[in-house]
Amino acid sequence: MKMSKKRHVHRHQDDKMYKFAHIADIHLGAQKTHELKELEFSTFEQILNKCIEENVDFIVIAGDLFHSNLPDLGIVKNAVGKLKKIHEKGIPIYVIYGSHDFSPNATSIIDIIAESGLLKKIFVPEVYDDGETGKERLKLKFTVDEKTKAKLVGISGKKIGLEKEYFKMLDIKSLEEEKGFKIFVFHAGLDILPRSLPIESLHISYFPKGFDYYAGGDVHTRFCTKDFPEYGPIAYPGSPFAGYPRDLEMSASKNVKRGFCIVEFDKKVRNIKFHEIKLVKYEFLSFNADNKSSHQVYEEILDKIEKTDFNGKIVIIKVKGTLASGKTLDINFNEIRIRIRNKGAIHVGITYYSLLSKEFDPIPFKGKEISEIEKSLFRENISNLNVLDDNLNGEKGVKLAISLMDILKQNQKINEKKSNYSNRILKEALKIMGV
Amino acid sequence: MDKRGQIVGGGLKNILIREKSDEKLELGELLIAYNDLDLSDDEMQQRNYTVLQIKDVEYKSQISPAIHELLAGMELEGYDPDLIYLEPELTNYSVGIAKPMLNIQKKNRKYDTKSPKSLPNFFNPVYSIRTKDLEFLKPEKIEDSLYLGNVRSGSNVLNDLDVSIDAKDALTHHILIPATTGRGKSNLVKVMLCSLLKSDNAGILVLDPHDEYYGRNDVGLKDHEDSEDKLEYYSTDPPIGQSKLIINIKSITPKQVRGLTYLTQAQNEALYLIRNRFGDNWISEIFKSNDIDGVHPKTLKVLKRKFDNIFGIYTKIDENGEVKLGYRSSLFKGGIVGESTIDNITESLEQGKVVIIDSSKLNDPEELLVGSMILEKLFNKYKEYNTVELRKKPVISVIIEEAPRVLGKEAMEAPGNDIYSTIAREGRKFQIGLIAITQLSSLIPKTILANMNTKIILGNEMAVERHAIIESASQDLSEDNRIIASLDKGEAIVSSIFTKFAIPIKIPYFNEYIKNFQDKNENEQEKARTQTPG
Repeated sequence: MKMSKKRHVHRHQDDKMYKFAHIADIHLGAQKTHELKELEFSTFEQILNKCIEENVDFIVIAGDLFHSNLPDLGIVKNAVGKLKKIHEKGIPIYVIYGSHDFSPNATSIIDIIAESGLLKKIFVPEVYDDGETGKERLKLKFTVDEKTKAKLVGISGKKIGLEKEYFKMLDIKSLEEEKGFKIFVFHAGLDILPRSLPIESLHISYFPKGFDYYAGGDVHTRFCTKDFPEYGPIAYPGSPFAGYPRDLEMSASKNVKRGFCIVEFDKKVRNIKFHEIKLVKYEFLSFNADNKSSHQVYEEILDKIEKTDFNGKIVIIKVKGTLASGKTLDINFNEIRIRIRNKGAIHVGITYYSLLSKEFDPIPFKGKEISEIEKSLFRENISNLNVLDDNLNGEKGVKLAISLMDILKQNQKINEKKSNYSNRILKEALKIMGV
Repeated sequence: MDKRGQIVGGGLKNILIREKSDEKLELGELLIAYNDLDLSDDEMQQRNYTVLQIKDVEYKSQISPAIHELLAGMELEGYDPDLIYLEPELTNYSVGIAKPMLNIQKKNRKYDTKSPKSLPNFFNPVYSIRTKDLEFLKPEKIEDSLYLGNVRSGSNVLNDLDVSIDAKDALTHHILIPATTGRGKSNLVKVMLCSLLKSDNAGILVLDPHDEYYGRNDVGLKDHEDSEDKLEYYSTDPPIGQSKLIINIKSITPKQVRGLTYLTQAQNEALYLIRNRFGDNWISEIFKSNDIDGVHPKTLKVLKRKFDNIFGIYTKIDENGEVKLGYRSSLFKGGIVGESTIDNITESLEQGKVVIIDSSKLNDPEELLVGSMILEKLFNKYKEYNTVELRKKPVISVIIEEAPRVLGKEAMEAPGNDIYSTIAREGRKFQIGLIAITQLSSLIPKTILANMNTKIILGNEMAVERHAIIESASQDLSEDNRIIASLDKGEAIVSSIFTKFAIPIKIPYFNEYIKNFQDKNENEQEKARTQTPG
């Protein structure tokens, strides 16, 4: 995201300028070690402090405030304490579920905090039958921010990209017809983004056009585009600290800047400013094992550790390549970790999944998306079996397994009894299997 | 059996058949002449017969022309209004001129087919063709076959006899669809795509300059029951739920630019220099720099102008005073947006999907650029696969309209844009083929036409074009000039190395045909309200 150096704002005297903060993917509760937990929460605190300092009129959280729908209560307690302070300042916080804090039966921690009034959910759906097609449609109700009159509407994230089902049903016309300053909040990756971002993607054409701002979550790297004239700015602030180990790796190796956005607007968005939150330093060391023996690589790593300053840093070590001789186990990663910690590192992450040995050559998974990995897994496993029924072998078997899994992913519908639900799933599964 | 006439003369080139008085023979009609008659039921299982096709029909009479003319005069001038021919059906009749197409030896359920080298027995009767006479046309595996239509005998359609060819073979050996406007070309392509959507072994890239295949506002391939899993639609203005077609300028190479516009040697060298120096950001650098070391300022200026003309890229100052690139065309974007479009498309094709690119809002160079970028990527990928890997991959075919744009003599001599001709020449080795649609086959070099081993010939009123098609057909169509000229909308002749003879077909009307591929159980499912947690 290119940040502005100066603001050149041309507007009418009577158009009052407002501000809102756009935050996403905080993933409170994702970290397991004491040091990282502290950093995770301090990041959250700093963001909210900055919001107060910047006098924002409201805050939008585009999903995954928490790492799970029922996180550790200690984390919840701390978070609620901080949210309460924001509430007392009269700053509303609008929120949607992310893919992590989603709950299929509306009993996520988000719902509990929302009940207390500290958060306001802006996914307000109404499902109705379309008179023309007879198909179900999803109408979303706008939430109007009292002070700024900004109109917010959101679509919650669901697990494994299932929010696409919401988008397929979406009554876009009613959203596009609404007048005023409109913000569309979503938690999903988009097909216009690079494939290097490891998420299921959604076609941008599912989005209603003409909103003034599209506040995204789920993509852990910041991104903003104003290149689509039919849509307003589409922005992802990214994860302000880390939801996954990969985020730490990105921060360390690619120097990815982490933080959140503050958006200024009157009748239109006038400025989007990214505020970096950096509470810790990173160190990234990468080693290539190609054409080296396991002992050579180990020596090389130890030598590098000796010469590097790790004090107070998050350290990520990446070892990749194919060893010419020796086993991957010959490299004592535990010892490496201890030595780095002894030099003052607050966290050591070691990734060596792409380290191979010529003595053992596993089949790597081709394709990075979940669906591709699933497909590869089925394909590799099915190739080891030989069942009499041809429909269970080869590509047919893969297709059948994937179709079956798709059926089993379905949720129970409103007004549907448990027995009807299980019957429906069973019936569909049997149909797929041709039984 | 329906007796239509009797063989009364001629030779291997043209067998003369006297028409039965109440059984009018039609141009293009298929007939059967059995070489053995009066067989027992057991013997019927082992028949030898020849398929004949009527190439022309003429009047004949036992009375001399002078007498006919005299009789006509007497009738016209009112000399004797009651004057009639004695036994007119014996005296005056028509003779059909037929060409033997195929000789078939049926042995129980097996068919041995040969091109005719001997005549059917003299004076034997001929019959209307029936489905069971052409049973051998039925494909062994429906799911991997490419359906084209139904066998047509004159204007009579054998509705229960589909004409399908093996999709893998036919697609890699290229298909040519010569057609003038209004002869049912897009209907044919839609019907073909319908059956290909059923196959996992064919990935089809469709460059659709008229936005007519997906069915944005009408019935189209989107209505196929497998469209959700197997069909992808890219458009600069996609309908809800479909993919936005964006090309990131970083994915464009100097070679592709050369295929779009004329460049002098200096300009050409400058492009490669800039690309080598700045990598993927080379186009952006051309616009943002006023001085690039090694490139003459005038050359840089001309390049900016040319890129503006081709890609619609220009520089602008944004609200923060920074120089930014602007894009007039909705196809191109900068930053990181659209970096994955080409990869997404090639991957879908590798999964055996049909990918339609709506190029109706793109200009010619833009459309060809998108096609080239996808095909170059795919071609290079397929080239890298070893034989075993390649065999597991679906075959790829690209449907390109107005094919002479890329396969015409001039286009093939132009630098840069050569992926289409490369595919035409050597794509078969790597399982990649073309489905070329054109009104002007004569503009495509003979060497390329001869490599298009399946031709689906629709009606064509232009004699030059008919000759170009006939000359390069897989079967001898030298007698079919008039038949091709008289093909009505939806009628075609399939001439292919994968068919036993040049088969006349009737292509079904897509809007009706698609009903066979629509999920009939859709409305029967139990209705339960979708739950919307969140």
